[in-house]
Amino acid sequence: MRKLLTTLASAAALGLVLSAPVQAKDTLTVGVQVPTTGSEATYGTDMYNAMKIAADEINAKGGVLGKKIELTTGDSACDPQQSVNAASKLASQDVVGVVGGYCSGATLPTLKIYGDNNVPFVIVAANSTKLIPANPGNAFMINSTGFDQVKKAVGFFEKKGVKSLAIVNQGDAYSQDLANLTRNQWEKDGHKVAAYETVSKGEQSFASLVTKIKSSGADAVFWTAYYADGGLLIRQLRQGGFRGIIAVGDGSNSPKLFEIAGRAAEGVYGFSNPTADFLPEAKGFIKSYKDQFGNAPGPYAPLAYDGMHLLAWAIDKAGSTDHDAIEKALASVDGQSWLTGPISFTDKNTLARSNFIILKGEGGHWTLESK
Amino acid sequence: MRTPEERTTTMSFTDIFLQQLINGLVLGSFYALVALGYTMIFGVIKLLNFAHGDVYMVGAFVGFGALSLVAGTFGAGWAGIFVAMVISMIVVGFLGVIIEQAAYRPMLNAPRLSILITALAVSLVLENSALALTDGQITAFNTDLGFNGIELGNLYVSYTQVVLVVASFILMIALELFVSRTMYGKAMRAISIDKDMCRLMGINVQRVIAVTFFVGSALAAAAGTMAGVQYGRIWYFMGFLIGLKAFTAAVIGGIGSITGAMLGGLILGLLESFATQIPGIGGEWKDVFTFGVLILVLVLKPTGLLGKSEVERM
Repeated sequence: MRKLLTTLASAAALGLVLSAPVQAKDTLTVGVQVPTTGSEATYGTDMYNAMKIAADEINAKGGVLGKKIELTTGDSACDPQQSVNAASKLASQDVVGVVGGYCSGATLPTLKIYGDNNVPFVIVAANSTKLIPANPGNAFMINSTGFDQVKKAVGFFEKKGVKSLAIVNQGDAYSQDLANLTRNQWEKDGHKVAAYETVSKGEQSFASLVTKIKSSGADAVFWTAYYADGGLLIRQLRQGGFRGIIAVGDGSNSPKLFEIAGRAAEGVYGFSNPTADFLPEAKGFIKSYKDQFGNAPGPYAPLAYDGMHLLAWAIDKAGSTDHDAIEKALASVDGQSWLTGPISFTDKNTLARSNFIILKGEGGHWTLESK
Repeated sequence: MRTPEERTTTMSFTDIFLQQLINGLVLGSFYALVALGYTMIFGVIKLLNFAHGDVYMVGAFVGFGALSLVAGTFGAGWAGIFVAMVISMIVVGFLGVIIEQAAYRPMLNAPRLSILITALAVSLVLENSALALTDGQITAFNTDLGFNGIELGNLYVSYTQVVLVVASFILMIALELFVSRTMYGKAMRAISIDKDMCRLMGINVQRVIAVTFFVGSALAAAAGTMAGVQYGRIWYFMGFLIGLKAFTAAVIGGIGSITGAMLGGLILGLLESFATQIPGIGGEWKDVFTFGVLILVLVLKPTGLLGKSEVERM
């Protein structure tokens, strides 16, 4: 009897699966790969919201190829394993393309999946140089890469008269890459690296590291990883009596840094991609973001917004949802500009110009130090 | 704008040594507080309670919530933090009792592996509930405490660190007195030797086990709240790493031994601090170094530093 029941139940389940209607779709599904849980969830949600605004704008104007854009999320959780699952899920969902990619470490392994399935992938935030050789040709990076940030950072430290620099990263693809490139460039320019340290993710106490940095004679610290642990390090550096310059990479450019680090974040410098507050073109975007979500857009919102528009533009130009045609259209983009400035790609599919600016923490938020 | 010379600090060898000693003590006292819970629970029901790190996490969140509630009356300074910590200890203590009653008690006579898996399940339930409730977001734990501290030459200890270390030592001494001087403590020690015999002698074993969970969880909650105050940031995954390290501390000290857990916690904290400073080891190798020492301790003394050997039957 029980066996019969089981058979019946499985048959019913199978029937359900098979009878799922195969209907002609009047929407285009775009995959969104961002971390919506985990330590970087703030950024991920923010990027998703920005893409939602872009998609709504496009849909309000009649959509692309006469079809409305529909978003489907894959949660990368800023974790290589989870992002591979998310990418496989998106690739199997018949998406016209994927927009997203925040943590470089989590984006790296997804390149192969999208490459194998030939899915056009607009990488909006992730910018580790390790992504460049791993790109099978179907991914396009609209953020300036680590190389551009290194140049900006080294130039800044030199201008501030820094003699001996301590570089701290978190051992993931993005922060290690930035740290390593900075070290090489800094040493090449004839300066001293006082300490080069890697901390484990999720570590709470940096006290002994702070002592090591202090005793190494460093007069500046460069944190190349994300805000969650960056806020903690800044706080403990100041608590531990470190008086030198502190600068953080673009991964730490979040208002949350000030919540976690508190007063210690005053006077901290940050290298950043163009954030909405410092983009004259973004006034309307900031307003609709605030109206819809109740808070200001975060640092990667404009890039995410541009990424969605870029994909829609490319589909429109290709005139079809054929993946090869969309990729060809993406490669041909020539100075199209939405919020973050003109987009065109090098032959390696990276952004053809540098978009970094320098920020300074003042009064509990970032202010523009120099372009 | 400071010049590069004003921005740097020159530290002598003694300075570095003493500063790392202080860092290690602060870190170690956190490990010790959490390790105590592991070791007490192992002592009475021979369970490696892998959910303990997550109890610590819940303690941090309850402490945070309590502080927001009492900040109006007591302020977000030391008075408010103290009240929040006590509330968190009581609430999470009862949570520990509920976990014991709901998840572990029905399994007490099951094979040891089953109850171990139950502990992992409890850990996942706590962690994922916190994930769902907080959306996976990091919560900033803000207090009114400043960055002021005691400066002795090049050495620096913040007042927060001093108070936290003193508080954890007071808790440890209180626990030691509780276990060695009270009837419950005596019953606890008796149960750890022979549970069945205790039952025959008329000791209410269930109640003593519940009290053990209460005390162990309350200590973890105290540590969680203190960690929130000290580091200014809490999130659902914060219990994982410290859970592992506190477990290690308990094993180094000899699991089941209360003094051992305190000793193990302090040793682990000091090892981590000094390993960071050793040239060529540094931050990225400190865990390798620390756990290497753990292996060495276990090879030379398999029961841990203060553990008693006992015949294991799985």
